[in-house]
Amino acid sequence: MIAGLGMTSLGKVYGPTPAQFAAQAVRLAVADAGLQLSDVDGLLTSSGVTGGISIDLQRDLGLTDLRLLSHMQAYGSTAGAMVQFASMAVMSGMATTVACVFADSPLRPERGASAIYGTRHAPAGWWGLLGASGVIGANTMYALAARRHMERYGTTSEQFGHIAVAQRAWAALNPAAQMRAPITLADHQASRWIVEPFHLLDCCLVSNGGIAVIVTSAERAAGLAQPAVHVLGWAQAHPGRYQRRNPDFGLQSGAATSGPAALQMAGTGVSDVDVLELYDCYTFTVLLTLEDYGFCPKGEGGPFVASGVLGPGGKLRLNTGGGQLSGYYMWGMTPLSEAVIQARGQGSDRQAETHDIVLVSGNGGVLDHHSTLVLGTEAGAS
Amino acid sequence: MTVGPVMRDESTAEFFDGTGAGQLLLRRCPVGHFSESAATQCTTCSCAELTWTPASGGATLVSWAVTPGKAAGAEPPESLMLVIAELDEGPWWWSQLQNCDPQELRVGRRLRVEFQRPDADHEAVPVFVLADS
Repeated sequence: MIAGLGMTSLGKVYGPTPAQFAAQAVRLAVADAGLQLSDVDGLLTSSGVTGGISIDLQRDLGLTDLRLLSHMQAYGSTAGAMVQFASMAVMSGMATTVACVFADSPLRPERGASAIYGTRHAPAGWWGLLGASGVIGANTMYALAARRHMERYGTTSEQFGHIAVAQRAWAALNPAAQMRAPITLADHQASRWIVEPFHLLDCCLVSNGGIAVIVTSAERAAGLAQPAVHVLGWAQAHPGRYQRRNPDFGLQSGAATSGPAALQMAGTGVSDVDVLELYDCYTFTVLLTLEDYGFCPKGEGGPFVASGVLGPGGKLRLNTGGGQLSGYYMWGMTPLSEAVIQARGQGSDRQAETHDIVLVSGNGGVLDHHSTLVLGTEAGAS
Repeated sequence: MTVGPVMRDESTAEFFDGTGAGQLLLRRCPVGHFSESAATQCTTCSCAELTWTPASGGATLVSWAVTPGKAAGAEPPESLMLVIAELDEGPWWWSQLQNCDPQELRVGRRLRVEFQRPDADHEAVPVFVLADS
């Protein structure tokens, strides 16, 4: 069960360190659940590009006598992985109330977002060689992945654009979203190249802030402050060919095994999914995950996303808060937080009418690490 | 000049001896499996007794991307064609493709490796050109 959700101010919020955002998020999540901080007996931490978070968060929060404490790192798949680990800990009786937290503060008032994710390679050794060759950062690696999909299946930039436009329309309905002004397909096509085939509007935001969730048992969650959000199924997949020859590169990710496994554990299938919250570091990541999860046949993601299924008027309830493209970029906590909001029925203007089964993805590295969660309401769990 | 400066370290010293001599050195195990240059054990059989073996220099195009940004250290900023190439020995290589119009590209296009130094003080970096150029 996910009984609590805590979200700090997100976006261009300057001042707090990652550890301060993390502590604030845990306190907010505990309060949201209707618990006391002293009820927490498990803590799982994770950090973003700036690090700054460790198991020392226990001390920062003044937590004593924890029965579970660990720092986890599987990049963008970590948020889902933390909920999985916490759920197993609760099921086993190891802990009763586990806080899972991510925070990051890469944005500085005086520097651009692109300065943060593109400049981590030292000018020596193998990483230095990659940088000297011009292959720098996630944008380039994902662009190479996307181009491979485009060449194999005929996927187009305009099709990517449909995802960007739809998510911006959702973001307009989300007060917590950073980018809420509507955009058109023409705006997407006219936005500057970051790395071709990616325009600016194909790429996620960079955000400061922290998000935490509280995982507990159904027994303990009964009578707490929020509607029940059950964790019905989960899985991970780590294909394991990072920076190696990989015939699947850009064509299929770990989602292809993780998604079906999680849905099977939940005893459900794609046709029963009411809401999808998919990791969207790039528009392309959403398209690939839709294919891999089985919402359309492999290779048909482009025509599928362009067919009118997306956005507040479409039949797919997908990335309903605007996602990482237009909402806020808290790695795997972005889809997870919106999934909890939707499963609870607290999405206000953007709330999906039916929300009994909510499918959540996490993606890390360059399509190297994948986690899936299936969340559900009481009705979805029965 | 479009490649940036890179310096050798302990793990890349022999590799850069190779690029300086016009060779792209891969790792090969006694069985004959090729691994990426950065591999510390055979990626097929985990054998750690790897020797440096020159690649033929032939490759095929796997994917490409075009950055409007600048290569490390390059001034002024210049557009780069970045590629994944599958070396004829099997491993993939990430670098830039030079002197090429994006319209000419298709998956499977034959490439050839060349080597460039940004200046005399830094190592030679493998880059690709079209094989028929």
